[in-house]
Amino acid sequence: MSYVAIKGGKAAIDGAAAAAEFLRGHDNSGEPLKLSAIESQLRLLTSRVVSEGGLYHPRLAALAIKQFQGDTLEAAFALRAYRSTKPRLLATPLQDSTNMRCIRRISAAFKDIPGGQMIGPSYDYALRLLRLDLADEDPEAFQSVARTFLTELPEADLPDSFPKVLDALRAEGLLPPVTESRGEPFDITREPLLFPVPRSAALATMARAETGSLLAMAYSNMRGYGDVHPTVAELRVGYIPVMVPHPVTGEPMEAGEVLVTECEVVAMYESGKAASLPTFTLGYGACFGHNEVKAISMAILDRALQKGMQDGPANPSEDPEFVLLHVDGVDSMGFASHYKMPHYVTFQSDMDRLRTTQVKAREAEQSPQREV
Amino acid sequence: MNIHYEFPLEEVGYSFGFLDEYAKKEVRRTILKAICIPGYQTPYASREMPMGRGFGTGGLQLTLALIGPDDTLKVIDQGSDDSVNAVNLRQFVQLTCPGVGVTEKLEEATLIQSRHRIPEVALTEAQVLVLQVPYPDPLVVVESSEARRKIMHAEADYSRLLVKLYEDIVHFDEITISHRYPTRINRHYVIDPSPIPRWDVPKLDQSPALILLGAGREKKIYAVPPYSVAEPLVFDDVPFRVEDFRDEHGQRRACARCGAINSFLDEYSDDNNAKIYQCSDSAYCDGQLAQHQQREVKG
Amino acid sequence: MSNVQNPMASHGLWLPPMQQQIFRDLLHVFSYPGRVAECTAESMTWLALLASLTDGEVSLADPHGLITADIWPKLEARPTTPDTATFILADGGRAMDFQPCTGSLESPETGATILLRVAALGEDSAGGFQLNLSGPGIQGHTELAVSGLHPSWLIARAGLVAAFPLGVDLLLCDEHRFAALPRTTRIETGEII
Repeated sequence: MSYVAIKGGKAAIDGAAAAAEFLRGHDNSGEPLKLSAIESQLRLLTSRVVSEGGLYHPRLAALAIKQFQGDTLEAAFALRAYRSTKPRLLATPLQDSTNMRCIRRISAAFKDIPGGQMIGPSYDYALRLLRLDLADEDPEAFQSVARTFLTELPEADLPDSFPKVLDALRAEGLLPPVTESRGEPFDITREPLLFPVPRSAALATMARAETGSLLAMAYSNMRGYGDVHPTVAELRVGYIPVMVPHPVTGEPMEAGEVLVTECEVVAMYESGKAASLPTFTLGYGACFGHNEVKAISMAILDRALQKGMQDGPANPSEDPEFVLLHVDGVDSMGFASHYKMPHYVTFQSDMDRLRTTQVKAREAEQSPQREV
Repeated sequence: MNIHYEFPLEEVGYSFGFLDEYAKKEVRRTILKAICIPGYQTPYASREMPMGRGFGTGGLQLTLALIGPDDTLKVIDQGSDDSVNAVNLRQFVQLTCPGVGVTEKLEEATLIQSRHRIPEVALTEAQVLVLQVPYPDPLVVVESSEARRKIMHAEADYSRLLVKLYEDIVHFDEITISHRYPTRINRHYVIDPSPIPRWDVPKLDQSPALILLGAGREKKIYAVPPYSVAEPLVFDDVPFRVEDFRDEHGQRRACARCGAINSFLDEYSDDNNAKIYQCSDSAYCDGQLAQHQQREVKG
Repeated sequence: MSNVQNPMASHGLWLPPMQQQIFRDLLHVFSYPGRVAECTAESMTWLALLASLTDGEVSLADPHGLITADIWPKLEARPTTPDTATFILADGGRAMDFQPCTGSLESPETGATILLRVAALGEDSAGGFQLNLSGPGIQGHTELAVSGLHPSWLIARAGLVAAFPLGVDLLLCDEHRFAALPRTTRIETGEII
């Protein structure tokens, strides 16, 4: 009689790793990917990974993309795991996104906005026609692209920062006034989500959520499982200087800058609290990197969740527990993958139950009707 | 960004136990509270580990918070030390915890991390068992909101769970829960004992060893303290039954490899589609086999 | 006492290896209430225990002023009053004079851990109580001898743990040893020894 060898697990995982590594190296070009190439030429992929990884380190993100052969879920996951090994030395104070060095800034609410619309790098109006010339790109032509762009760039007199579109609406009384700080923001890397959670916990969870999951939830609201009906008051992409207190003097100093996408949506108005006038409602989205769909989805969901927190959820996208516990890429992909692991013991147990139940059912069929 | 940027060396090195010390302290504090409130799913800020959620990250965080250079670790998955996931976890601990011993022999281990099984041989006071948990809350089948489940647990209100079991009996004349059998600890909280078979549930009761359960994705830690009452949820007239390994003639099936007739068996088919049964606990199977061989040599 | 000659042991309590070792002893005493563990660090037991448990995430109350100003920053804990603290350090020789947090039904883990300094635990507890213990972690019954514990603590504790899962968890320590009394432990006060 044969039996399954109870050895061999180590050889199997070593072999699996070698086979995956073979496929990475099996490239006729013979050129390994350069991290700098991933970081700049695949900048939107890198953006997605820093955002979902919750760690602003584009070079490590590029490494993760290379290592996991372009799988964004795995790459973001590797960044998160790396982050687990680092102590949290400091919590930054509130950062002001008005100080953003914008590369792009638009508003769908107004034709013109103070500071001006600035379309910047975008494919929004590009025709989705495949550019076959890129299939065989001449290195020299490629190198001249950036050079030409910079030399031909008109001398623009751009300010260092732009006013927020929302500030104008607020000044006019169409938006609720900014309330004073609501205390320490919730740190999702330190505290488990126990519902109800504050808005800051929801925002932090969405900021590092998986883009596709967030989009699906927000889309359900846009299509009719909800009624946010947003207007994009402002979408901006750019670099925010990160200010931290100086370790000795305590004075704010710039520690560096992070590329951030920020979206503010204005939604249908609601009656004001305590005899004040009705105002528009707001939704806010922001994440690391250049990820416009993610920031918009987040802003819509923020509005939907605020409504759900206030009036009780009427749709899945308004239910904080439903949304926040199902949008994390690391959690959801890990669990989906774990079903590939052996489940012999539980399946054995399942078969035992089914067989016992079948025996009982057969017995019941053969014996006269009995009362239940 | 600077094209010539190189990673500083410290960015690629990991400290003992992988997790930073603050993360370990938080897990440790949570473990102590979990022991003080037997069966209560104590929340903690589960960290991301370098393996998938669902692959034992909760168990691994417990192990890494516990482990020290004096420990000897045994890792099993489906009862086997050499299952791919067990190998992977063990290699990770060896990589990140230099000096820690590893073993496949149960009696040599001080820490045992396991998925889906409790070893056949009884544990001792000198051992701690860490179980990996995918779904920590037995109430999730009757109540999807965690906020409401927490209140039901606090009040030890398991009436809806009992109704579910009762409906099973009405439909099938049998409780159909095969594994993850809801078990009441210290006469208050009902736990999901992780996907161990019913065979292993009685081992939770009055165990000399501490049993810790970690759910990384759901961010919960709970404990069955040593010498605690652990009772599977049942009705007086429908007894709790472990898996039945008798053949059609009522004969207890034996392990095809070591001949044991007192262990949980894995069932599978050979190339001729014939059913084969073999111990799920591979270290136990090895031990039985060694004893037979010794006897043969002596005989 | 071990490690008397070990120069590392006194400041080792701030280092990860010592904290791991102390945690494992804590794990043992909480798992088996009434058992007494030796403190391996060459320092005050209460300090070694706190050092292995606290950081910036927790609050700590010191109603009897046992922690000196130079120690506070090393513990990193936020100082607070006993009614809200996660950890409370108190002098068990004095009558209990505060109301600790016992947690909520939904979150009983927020019930405080009270670290009580007593004169002696175990064998050298002459003049103290013999506590008769039962509950999870104890096979049948066990006994723990304590001296230098004001009786008000046991009376107050009985009230605080009466409505499980609410309660407080006690950690008793003398100069060299410590033992735990989780909220699940039933205590009968035996004779004076």
